Amino acid sequence: MTNDEPHTSREPTAKSDGGATEQYIPLDAVPESAPRPDLDWGTRIAAAVPSMPRLLKYAIAIAVAVLWIVPFLGLFMASFRPLGEILAGWWHVEGMTITFENYRRAWSYQTAPMGRALFNTLVVTVPAVLVVMLLGAMAAYPFARFEFPLKTMLFFFILLVMAAPPELVAMGNYNTLREIGLFDSYMGLILVHIGWGLGWVVLFLRNYLLGIPEELEEAARIDGASRYQIFRTIILPLSTPALVSVAVIQFTWVWNAFFFPLVFMRSPELYLAPQVLPLMTGRIQVEWGLVAAGSVMTMAVPVFLFLMLERYYKQGMVAAVTD
Amino acid sequence: MTQVSMENVSKYFDDGETVANYRLNLEVEEGEFLVFLGPSGCGKTTALRLIAGLEEPSEGAIYFDGQRVDRWSPSDRNVAMVFQNYALYPHMSVAENVAYPLKIQGVPPDDRDQRIEEVLRFLHIEAQASKSPAELSGGQRQRVALARAIVREPSVFLLDEPLSNLDAKLRQEMRSELKRLQDELEITTIYVTHNQEEAMSMADRVVVMNRGTIRQIAPPEELYSRPRTEWVARFIGSPPMNLLRGTRQNGSIAFGEAGSVDIGETTVGGLETVPRGDVSLGVRPEDISIATERPASTTAIAGTVDTVEPLGEYTVVNVAVGDQIVNAKVPTTSVERDDPVYLTFDDADAYLYDENGELLT
Repeated sequence: MTNDEPHTSREPTAKSDGGATEQYIPLDAVPESAPRPDLDWGTRIAAAVPSMPRLLKYAIAIAVAVLWIVPFLGLFMASFRPLGEILAGWWHVEGMTITFENYRRAWSYQTAPMGRALFNTLVVTVPAVLVVMLLGAMAAYPFARFEFPLKTMLFFFILLVMAAPPELVAMGNYNTLREIGLFDSYMGLILVHIGWGLGWVVLFLRNYLLGIPEELEEAARIDGASRYQIFRTIILPLSTPALVSVAVIQFTWVWNAFFFPLVFMRSPELYLAPQVLPLMTGRIQVEWGLVAAGSVMTMAVPVFLFLMLERYYKQGMVAAVTD
Repeated sequence: MTQVSMENVSKYFDDGETVANYRLNLEVEEGEFLVFLGPSGCGKTTALRLIAGLEEPSEGAIYFDGQRVDRWSPSDRNVAMVFQNYALYPHMSVAENVAYPLKIQGVPPDDRDQRIEEVLRFLHIEAQASKSPAELSGGQRQRVALARAIVREPSVFLLDEPLSNLDAKLRQEMRSELKRLQDELEITTIYVTHNQEEAMSMADRVVVMNRGTIRQIAPPEELYSRPRTEWVARFIGSPPMNLLRGTRQNGSIAFGEAGSVDIGETTVGGLETVPRGDVSLGVRPEDISIATERPASTTAIAGTVDTVEPLGEYTVVNVAVGDQIVNAKVPTTSVERDDPVYLTFDDADAYLYDENGELLT
């Protein structure tokens, strides 16, 4: 140490209130939250104003966000306005008329009523989602935990099928469904959706199940539970967040699917919502208002489901398992 | 009350590439508190899992009360186990966790509720019954895990490092509580730990393991006073026993420049029974005294102080003897680094180990 160093380091530093720093602080003098530094307004404003590069980043981010939201905004606006106003440009807000006429007409559109189409879609989507969840979990569990012959090979096959485009399987499925008499029936369409969804669901759930500590299952084995009891009372409840994710994603896919219904459904009265939308364009001129209202209605269902189930995502179950 | 025995039990993993346990032979008495002690990776947890039924032995046999059980499931053996991280079911409340084994067994709800209440009261966690495991402190989780294990009235109680996730103070508390629990319930208990203090304080007998094999089975006092091999001697005690390599010459052991030691009577008897050749002289740090002048007695080893560690309760002095370091545990000391000192000890406190590390008797 040099001679002048002790002078600066050992001298008790005087505070603004005049008190000297003490070595031992009484416990009840410790504040609940960090003390706020007393800054004048000038410094605070200077600290709050972002720098130029940061401002630029904000500008780009906001521009991208607006670009993303504009088509949706247009659709939403169009669904509530008469055709004349839409044709003049939905972005003209002055003198705007808000009407539910588009929704009312779309709901009971004569050649393809949206109300019936939405109901049909629900009839197909609900079983396709529930069965995929159950079968997916039952198939994923062995892949995550058991040792069996050809395990890696079988898993590779599942991944391989996932890589195929839906168009590739359309022809085969078309012929099969015709053969067994399920063509143009919801049962056939549901089966195709189940088979198509199972691949990613098994992959997704297997990865999740791998994260559940094996000790929990061992504890259950010690407690006397059978494999099936472990699956039902330990694995399934702990998989709730993953199963909810599967439900929401699979629901959105099946609900919005256009290609499979297009190929496998022929009777107009059995048409699903995504099939009905293009029929609303009318004969003489495109009824943009009807198309927009139908689109919003179709879209609303998965969005509503997502909002309903959102809290399950946030459940800290995984955290509770691992700590 | 169950008596457990293992006969030549070996366990191999990865198609025999890994030897986890090799020829374990062990008898656990009824109601005994047995502790597996060893460094990490010594196979003590695998041995416990073999007894639990979570692993099947590759060779050998396991008996519960004379019945061969090594193909039985854990529930058929009626074992209970507490895991290192407790393995509480996170989606169930405390009461549901404790109820789980009873539900599986099909115990009627009234009987079940009564037993749960009893066991929760016994472990002082009745106030937490409706909480989820995530809301509990480490010590409370530990108690829930214990409650889940004892509520079934198992025949064998297995614990896999149950205290390693607790802080030091809580560990001390739970140690005496576990001991009390075992005394009251009189269940045959097998406990795995790498902490020798835990092992020594709780065990009726300690099984010291290394590299998948049993090195010594003995009550704690005997383990301390008569370690069977050099390895065990080094493993038990803190700081561990000093082992000085030397050559036995007529009636004494020579340590090169540090001089030589005459030994009349060691703990193992007269030196005349000791064969000639290389031996290790073992002395526990607490049995060594430090003198600054050569004492009259001939059992003195010369060295220089390397470091002094004052620990409050006692002071550890590390003394360089030749190219080896000897620890001495003394109440207080005034020696400093590089002081020449003489180490003395009673003949009765010295152990001799042969070239293979076996205690000479």
